[in-house]
Amino acid sequence: MYWLRRLWSELRNEVFVLPSRTLVLVWAVGLLALPAVYGDPYVLRILTLTCLYAIFAASWDLLAGYSGQVNFGHALFFGAGGYASAVLSLKLGMSPWLTIWIGAAVATLLGIGVGYICLRLRGSYLSLATLAFPLIAVGLLLAVPDFSGGELGMFGVPRLTNNLIGNYYIAVIAMLVLVFGMWLIADSKFGLVLHAIRDDELAARASGINTPRYKLTVFALSAFAAGIAGALLAHYLKIAAPFLLETTLSFLVVIWGIFGGVATIYGAVAAVFILYPLIEWFGGFQGFGERRLLFFAVIVLLVLLFMPRGLVPWVRDKMETLCPRCKQRNPAWRSACRLCAAPLAATDRPRSTAPRNA
Amino acid sequence: MFRSFLVAAAMAAVVPGAMAQGTIKIAILGPMAFVQGENHWAGATMAMEDINQAGGISVGGKKMTVELVRADSNEMTSVPDAASAVERVINRDKVHFLIGGFRSEAVLAMQEVAMDNKKLFLGAGAAHDELGMRVERDYNRYKYWFRVTPTKNTDLGRTIFAVLNSVAGEIRTQLKKDTPKVAILAEKAAWTEGLTAAAQKNLPAMRMEVVGVWNPSAVATDVTAELSAIERAGADIVFTILSGPVGIVTGRQMGERNMKAVAFGINVEAQKDEFWGAAAGKANFVSTLDTYAEVEITPKTIAWVRAFKERFKKSPTYNAATYDAVMLLKEAIETANSTNSDDLVPVLEKISFVGNGAVLEFDKRHDPVYGPGKALGIAVQWQDGEKVAFWPPQVKGMKPFRMPGR
Amino acid sequence: MLQDIIITGLISGGVYALLAIGFSLIFGVARIVNIAHTAFYMLASYGFYTLLVKLGLNFVLAGVLAVAGVTALSLACYKLVIEPLREHEAAVLIATIALALIIQELMLFGFGGHFLGIPSTLDGALVVGGVSVAYQRLVIMVVAAVMLVATWAMLYRTRLGLAIRATANDLEVASLMGMNVHRIALATVAFSVLLAAIAGVVVAPVYVVDPFMWLGPLVTMLAIVVLGGLGSVKGSVIGAFIIGFVEAITVFALPAGAFLKGAVALSIMVLVLFVRPEGLYGVAFEEEER
Repeated sequence: MYWLRRLWSELRNEVFVLPSRTLVLVWAVGLLALPAVYGDPYVLRILTLTCLYAIFAASWDLLAGYSGQVNFGHALFFGAGGYASAVLSLKLGMSPWLTIWIGAAVATLLGIGVGYICLRLRGSYLSLATLAFPLIAVGLLLAVPDFSGGELGMFGVPRLTNNLIGNYYIAVIAMLVLVFGMWLIADSKFGLVLHAIRDDELAARASGINTPRYKLTVFALSAFAAGIAGALLAHYLKIAAPFLLETTLSFLVVIWGIFGGVATIYGAVAAVFILYPLIEWFGGFQGFGERRLLFFAVIVLLVLLFMPRGLVPWVRDKMETLCPRCKQRNPAWRSACRLCAAPLAATDRPRSTAPRNA
Repeated sequence: MFRSFLVAAAMAAVVPGAMAQGTIKIAILGPMAFVQGENHWAGATMAMEDINQAGGISVGGKKMTVELVRADSNEMTSVPDAASAVERVINRDKVHFLIGGFRSEAVLAMQEVAMDNKKLFLGAGAAHDELGMRVERDYNRYKYWFRVTPTKNTDLGRTIFAVLNSVAGEIRTQLKKDTPKVAILAEKAAWTEGLTAAAQKNLPAMRMEVVGVWNPSAVATDVTAELSAIERAGADIVFTILSGPVGIVTGRQMGERNMKAVAFGINVEAQKDEFWGAAAGKANFVSTLDTYAEVEITPKTIAWVRAFKERFKKSPTYNAATYDAVMLLKEAIETANSTNSDDLVPVLEKISFVGNGAVLEFDKRHDPVYGPGKALGIAVQWQDGEKVAFWPPQVKGMKPFRMPGR
Repeated sequence: MLQDIIITGLISGGVYALLAIGFSLIFGVARIVNIAHTAFYMLASYGFYTLLVKLGLNFVLAGVLAVAGVTALSLACYKLVIEPLREHEAAVLIATIALALIIQELMLFGFGGHFLGIPSTLDGALVVGGVSVAYQRLVIMVVAAVMLVATWAMLYRTRLGLAIRATANDLEVASLMGMNVHRIALATVAFSVLLAAIAGVVVAPVYVVDPFMWLGPLVTMLAIVVLGGLGSVKGSVIGAFIIGFVEAITVFALPAGAFLKGAVALSIMVLVLFVRPEGLYGVAFEEEER
């Protein structure tokens, strides 16, 4: 009983006070409850894929948005997780439930490797260098077709569960856990340090922060999450093929991350949840479904022109204001801050991109 | 392209998601933005119209009309999207059957979803052997898959060597050379390795000498290096195993260099009408395996190819075998008197269907049975801007094979 | 074989140089990573194809119109899409990606996904030292050389070039000195896309044209620009020829490994970055507050 009351008071004081947090709760509950009301396999499949891509996008945002290391080759970790898990479960017959973690571990190691190489690189150099790694990886995989299956990849990768709803819940729960975990990391002191490194690495080092360690750690964490997502996808589709490492996928996750709003974690997730089903819906039209990529690019461009900082920050700023005194967020309709009772003017819209409590 | 859009729009207007009994819905899946998907749709549309104009398909005494669902699989760009497309047409559009597919990686994923849902899926584009091997390995799960076109990769190999033998025979006659020299030009890809190895093994036994193997990239824009070396080696035949744009570049550059060797093999780009223009009119004498031409492969071929050309203003590629697939379904449905995939599987396994490009019978892997009089394929050569069929010799309408002037 | 390598290396290097210089200039002056750069190159090829093959204009007219049209279009894109987003670096980045995708899809729907061939400007080949070199490839080399010289002349002998170099060097000070940075950025974009468009027109008859032809050169161009140093024109040119020759050597010396040429170029880039994090001639950008 105590826990129930505790849960209720937490909800009331922390979540329901802000519209954005309430929405997130509604969304999470909705996802979990969906199969009970609407069991269409097609919708469940799309949402499963959306959840996996959302983990991927959120992991990119953690790396690029928070620590400023804009990774143009994030698909490397995604594909590494997928391939490693596929190879182990297919060739060695290990259980997928185990190989996913090993796949993620492989991705993490690669993350540390890439992070190490990129320690000396800054800005655009880092971005363009990271572009190279998935391509080199694809070259290597194609050079050993007996091991990796060549261009066709490996098929017949065992599923985690053959139950449609089971797969859905695995994806949803994995996403909620990983994304929430990444958000907690980002919102903690660790995230604060990452922001400091992003804004001015020299000053951070001068303050005594061991920046290489932080940069490597965030690479590792980001790669881990991406690796899990990749492994789950490979098992879901029963295929591990070069498309997991494509440059297009890397670019796509950059678009998702920035479209949703960098340095927010949930921005990337929201972007995937909005864009991926939308484009899939568009692609289902008989007469012009094949124009889906054009539609996607035009939408992204138009939204950017109106919301250059990203979709989620724009929406959130419409719903909430910042208290001038205590710098905490408040619902926009309040006239006084909920915490320090300072009067809230309508003009107190948050402006900077510094980390904020969400 | 625009025509197919009109047809789709017209259909969408006239039959808005009609789930009414009396309709058999067939999904046509393919990369609709590309030539393969266009052909998928074109062949199927022609079949649908022919069937509906003749009254439809008889099931249980009733006449049912055929309705097509045009589904872009986006398989060129995204394999997950292809799988999602299959899920969509089955669960949202509620189709009875699926036809199509092109890219083997994607079709392997699409096949899984179709089998999950126990729906008949007729392949009209992917040649990978694994698609059939699965049927043999796990019959109960994969029995709903049948490959209508092309013949599987290993059978393509058998055809190739048969034609190569024929071409070598021409060279022996025309050039008075007993052992023609063959240069193997295979794009660097997994699917070519088997053929390359087989060629290296078989050609000496066929009294041909392999003078070298070259592996350009599938997207190479310049094969000067390879062609120079091939010229130096004195090859008479360039045995091409190409599927990408390198096939165009090869044809063009061979023509620009006035090479004495003749190109024959698999050259997927050379099967398309656009090849001549893409090679800027230089790719004379390039020859390749193909599926349709105005020759009498079966009694229906010439009439159908002409009708297709008149309707769509271009020649059918092998993907247009969706026409045969739809007609095959009609015959199976009428024989089994049911639209249930489970009932149709045993019927299809025993069927012998005279199509436009082959006589379709299925082996235990649900691949088309290979051989003259069954599914074989033809070989064509580009001669002065026209694609001319020259093999197999027993089919009526074949023209002679030409060598570049020496 | 050596002659093959030299000729191919020069041609690839020349074409890459045209692309890389433009990209480098845009980055140096406007601080934009223009992912759509090679998409304009592709657009010029398609434009040339349309004017030449569909409308039957002669080579020179078709070429000039294609180049002019693409340059004008790029300026329009810049004004409509990039300029409103100038302060948001991240947004600009994906705006250029979106732009490139839009161009690709429009070409896909306008022309179909199959490959198009453009007749050569000059037919026939020249036999040099036992190697047969198509005249078209010689045309590419000559045009590339001429444009490189013209670029050098523009940058080092004109006032506009001086302004561009100054802005690339230090944006704030150039602005303080009274230069209209926005107009200079516009001029830079125009000139850069001009170079890319010329490359597209000249190279199109030799390559095959399809809606995805912008992806391969994009990656190689990025490798070159990073290798040579972002913002450095000299670095881009040298990097272009290095990569051009490396690719040629890979293709000719290891015939079975021709497909590896992309991976080799990228590995070289990564290696160079490991040793010199700013590329060969790059300038280490001090932290700029954006």
